[in-house]
Amino acid sequence: MADLRPILLVEDNPRDLELTLTALERCQLANEIVVARDGAEALDYLHARGTFAGRDGGGPAVVLLDLKLPKVDGLEVLGQIKADAHLRQIPVVMLTSSKEERDVVRSYELGVNAFVVKPVDFQEFFKAIQDLGIFWAILNEPPPGFRRD
Amino acid sequence: MEKIIDELDLEACAREPIRVPGAVQPHGALLVVDERDLRLLQHSTNAGDLLGIELRVGVALGDALGASLPKELDAWRGRDEPLFLRTVRVGERLLQLSAHRSRQGLQLEFEAAPSDERETLEAVYPRLRAFVDAIGRAGSVQDIAELAVREIQTLTGFNRIMLYSFDAEGDGTVLAEASDGILPSYLDLRFPASDIPAQARELYKSSRLRLIPNARYEPATISPAESPVDGKPLDLSHAALRSVSPIHLEYMRNMGTAASMSISILIDDELWGLISCHNAEPKLVNAQIRSACDFLGQIVSLQIGARQRADRAVRRIHLKHIEGELLAQMSQSADFHAGVSAHQQTWQRLVAADGVAVVSADGITALGLTPSKPELLELAKWLHATDPSELYATDQLSLHWPQGAAFANVASGLLSISVSQLNPSYIMWFRQEVERTVKWGGDPRKGPVTDRLHPRKSFDTWKQLVRMRSIPWTEVEIEAARDVRHSMINFVLRRAEERAALSEKLQRSNAELEAFSYSVSHDLRAPFRHIVGYADLLSHRETGLDEKSRHYLDSIVDSAVHAGRLVDDLLAFSQMGRTTLNPVRVDMQKLVNEVRRSRDPDLQGRAITWQVGELPPAYGDPSLLRQVWANLIDNAMKYSATRNPAEIRIEGAPVEGGARYSVSDNGVGFEMAYVGKLFGVFQRLHRTEEYQGTGIGLALVKRIVERHGGTVWAQGDVDKGATVGFELRDSRKEGADGRP
Repeated sequence: MADLRPILLVEDNPRDLELTLTALERCQLANEIVVARDGAEALDYLHARGTFAGRDGGGPAVVLLDLKLPKVDGLEVLGQIKADAHLRQIPVVMLTSSKEERDVVRSYELGVNAFVVKPVDFQEFFKAIQDLGIFWAILNEPPPGFRRD
Repeated sequence: MEKIIDELDLEACAREPIRVPGAVQPHGALLVVDERDLRLLQHSTNAGDLLGIELRVGVALGDALGASLPKELDAWRGRDEPLFLRTVRVGERLLQLSAHRSRQGLQLEFEAAPSDERETLEAVYPRLRAFVDAIGRAGSVQDIAELAVREIQTLTGFNRIMLYSFDAEGDGTVLAEASDGILPSYLDLRFPASDIPAQARELYKSSRLRLIPNARYEPATISPAESPVDGKPLDLSHAALRSVSPIHLEYMRNMGTAASMSISILIDDELWGLISCHNAEPKLVNAQIRSACDFLGQIVSLQIGARQRADRAVRRIHLKHIEGELLAQMSQSADFHAGVSAHQQTWQRLVAADGVAVVSADGITALGLTPSKPELLELAKWLHATDPSELYATDQLSLHWPQGAAFANVASGLLSISVSQLNPSYIMWFRQEVERTVKWGGDPRKGPVTDRLHPRKSFDTWKQLVRMRSIPWTEVEIEAARDVRHSMINFVLRRAEERAALSEKLQRSNAELEAFSYSVSHDLRAPFRHIVGYADLLSHRETGLDEKSRHYLDSIVDSAVHAGRLVDDLLAFSQMGRTTLNPVRVDMQKLVNEVRRSRDPDLQGRAITWQVGELPPAYGDPSLLRQVWANLIDNAMKYSATRNPAEIRIEGAPVEGGARYSVSDNGVGFEMAYVGKLFGVFQRLHRTEEYQGTGIGLALVKRIVERHGGTVWAQGDVDKGATVGFELRDSRKEGADGRP
């Protein structure tokens, strides 16, 4: 499964991180999970710069992006991804604590691929993450011309 | 009243050279001397005879009249006195000299000195003092006028003394008269404004006293006619001897008088009235007595002015009280219409009106004696078109606005204030017509004939019925209206400012609330999610937990899930106030069916009998109305859970201006005593373990319905079921969103 591209999880809250990682683990996905703890780090990874300079591989299979992030927040990361000709093909799933109308609207305006409100109930949360992971990491064909290692 | 004289005559009158007649009356003589060297510049042709000396232009005054006069004049010129009054001896003759400065030189007027000791200023001085005392005690303008004419008669001995005052149109009405019966009485009569042409009126202001001892006099011309100083005819504006217009002399002769004297009554620099003296025979009043009369005239002017000011002050204070009352009342009224309606009496009292009306974009309120509403509307339009200024007052509306004749009987007097700067809004006061008879001193319409300017010939009393006029508004009343307007405008502005401040405050607190709920939604929800997540992980990991421990763990999860739901519901509730409504036509039948179907999976074998009636469409926000139905249906299902079968009835009916809907069940119901708590946030009428819920459902329903401008209601009975309903207005007809 060497051609599987990683999942980029951008999450600052350690508990959410742990729970999300557990959920993804249970999905038994073969994809590598790359974690970025804030928006700046996520962008560094995507552009293969900073601490990620010279990293292996191309773009991730999917970005799971928390809305509220330190430094550069989720909406801004989303905006930069969708504004970048090289990155805009990467599917981005917004993960958020609430369904604040303006956040949803803004996300879709910026071209988000999915918007998920993290449910309080862990079983639901688990299911949501599982669905997302499977859908974007496995089933979704990368756009033509996207480099596949 | 029709116009008394036409344009042509007015022009002819105005052209009359009354200031530069080129002559003096022959009872005295005039010398004009150069102010610097006192050499003679001009003189009246009778001067030589009257002074008993030879006169030629260029002679030094001292050479002609003796050295003492130039010295005295020099001393006077050093002082700042306007008039030089002295008895002088010229040769054998004792003469009364009065001198004043003019652009064209010093004008020296000589008349015979008082021959009688009793006719000197010294002799009448005690009388003047007594008069000043008496007039100070006079109670009214009328009293002052009567005292004045009697005193002037005593001082001068004229046959008839009248005191008359001018009204706004310039017509003069005789207020007081003292007469020895030789001339007819003109008391109470009115003289038209045209009797005194405008330019004469002006002259009366600058020169307070005029005497014509003999209306048949031969004028003594001025020689040379043009002043050597500027080459112009000599300006005699301030000369007592000034020759008067032949038209005026004709007027006097027509009136049957041979001599006249008039004293101006000036109040605040305006010609308020005249004291007019007439004699059947020629009559000379010497300069000293005239001076006393002038002084007396000034005292009368001051007294009348003071009396009027005092009267006005009293009235003003009274009206200020009323105004204060009005403003206090106004501050408690929703608008002008309500305020005026509630306190009609006070409003009318402010300006002594018979009726009052408010005309604005909000409608017309008419109270007391007023024109009809359509007439008021027309009147407001006319006011707006012709005189959109702040205040309008007339006592004969039909004169300015012919349509007003139709209701002249109820509203000849109009006093109107504009109370909005944006749109035509007026508060109008009305006074009814007061028919009255005015007695004219001669028919004022019988004006001059065409060949040349003639005054009227008849002064027989001529009665005129004055119609379409009200009692005029007094200056004080007009002021009161102006003040009220001022306060009203300020008041309205202040209200607007207060509203603006309030709305700014609201916006700020709304923004704060929004920020607060935004952060709550993100930050408060997360820990609950974590609790549930970790508890779940733990329960999967610890397979050997005993029942009690598992119960504890389940309780932790339940509680956190419930808390999370609470947060969600609260947020939905608070968002309710902020989201904008998108009202469209909503098929309520379809909406209810969709909600019902979506609940099917939750039924878990429960038996529910549904009765859904015909539901009229509504106008509102579809997603919010879906929320209303969902909450009401969920409630009905929840509280009828113990029934078998449960019966849920959904009904609707159109009502005036909207529609009414309700959801009834046969469940546990509630006590009507608590109906008020039903729609409150976090208000629950059942114990948590009986019925789950966050206690926000109905509060949200209420809030959504109210956002649509509707109302909610509930009816229930313990164990017999409950009905919760709502009514929505058709938002196409009016703003559904009742908020500003």
